[in-house]
Amino acid sequence: MMLRTCVEGLDRVLETDPPPASVLLVTGGEGTLKSSLVLAMMSRYLEFSGGHGLYTSLEQTRESHVRNMESIGIRCHEHLHIFDYRDMRVEWREQSLDMFRVTRDILDTYLEKYRDLMIFAIDSLNALYTLSPKADLRRNIYDFLTELKDRGLTSILILETDGGAGNSGEKFLSDGIIEVGVIESTEGVKRYLQIRKMRGARHQMEKHHLVVKPGGLEVLGPIYG
Amino acid sequence: MSLASLGGALIEETNLGHEEQEEILSRFVKPNKDILILSILRERPMCGYDLIKEIYKRYNVLLSQGTVYPILYSMEAEGILRAEYSRGNMRTKFYSLTPKGQEVMRLKMGSMVNALEYLLSFLKE
Repeated sequence: MMLRTCVEGLDRVLETDPPPASVLLVTGGEGTLKSSLVLAMMSRYLEFSGGHGLYTSLEQTRESHVRNMESIGIRCHEHLHIFDYRDMRVEWREQSLDMFRVTRDILDTYLEKYRDLMIFAIDSLNALYTLSPKADLRRNIYDFLTELKDRGLTSILILETDGGAGNSGEKFLSDGIIEVGVIESTEGVKRYLQIRKMRGARHQMEKHHLVVKPGGLEVLGPIYG
Repeated sequence: MSLASLGGALIEETNLGHEEQEEILSRFVKPNKDILILSILRERPMCGYDLIKEIYKRYNVLLSQGTVYPILYSMEAEGILRAEYSRGNMRTKFYSLTPKGQEVMRLKMGSMVNALEYLLSFLKE
């Protein structure tokens, strides 16, 4: 199963697939379909691979993600486990939790239950950083990303880049960066997808038009400024 | 014999130090956390926070939030547990066993107690 065929037209941009166990960043501003893109990729990936996937959400609830997916026609695969931290954050609000450790434990618990867990995502790194101790943050990020690679899973980390976030080394440490955003022109506002970096894979550099169509997302041709 | 008292019996019959006893309990609790969670929730509904505290109180083993909450969610999805908000508290979900959960619990508990009794019968000799 290839990641580049998980969203219609993504193979226009990503000519070969990233190697297994790659750590990919999906970056972009607010409302640029980062979560929907990742959920669509994971759902389709699991549909063809038959394995299990884990999407951890630090901000939105599982129900909210499922509603959003349904609203744009993305089917949530039954092997896609969406774990939200809501209950944990409510019940442990008086304590400061080490979210890096908690997230590792969540991943280990799912790996113990589903030996064929193949793909993992975090939504979002920003929230993970905000909820983690500030001391040794860069070290924690380095260790965490290294461990994800060692576990042999394809990992997708969502990073919201509004407000200059993303200077903690994750861009350097990740194997690939997929950027989504909006361009305003005389023709109106268009969503785009651009591969900024993809180690071990051939890809186009241009921004490509990303659209919501019945049945999900589609990557169309390049947008020329 | 309940699992808690069975674990206690195992510890009482040894002359191990406190740290060694804790180590034995930890080695017992972690691989059997699913059934221990079910056995505690059979007694009364609890939220994840209460459950982690209760396991610590009984076994002196602190399970991570990242271990307990995924187990609760998986068991709920499998129809083994039901999650309900209590009256006047719509923020905290309390988990209890469904009829399917009672049956799963009964079967797992029976297998585990039999296995432990078998093991203990040799250790006591």
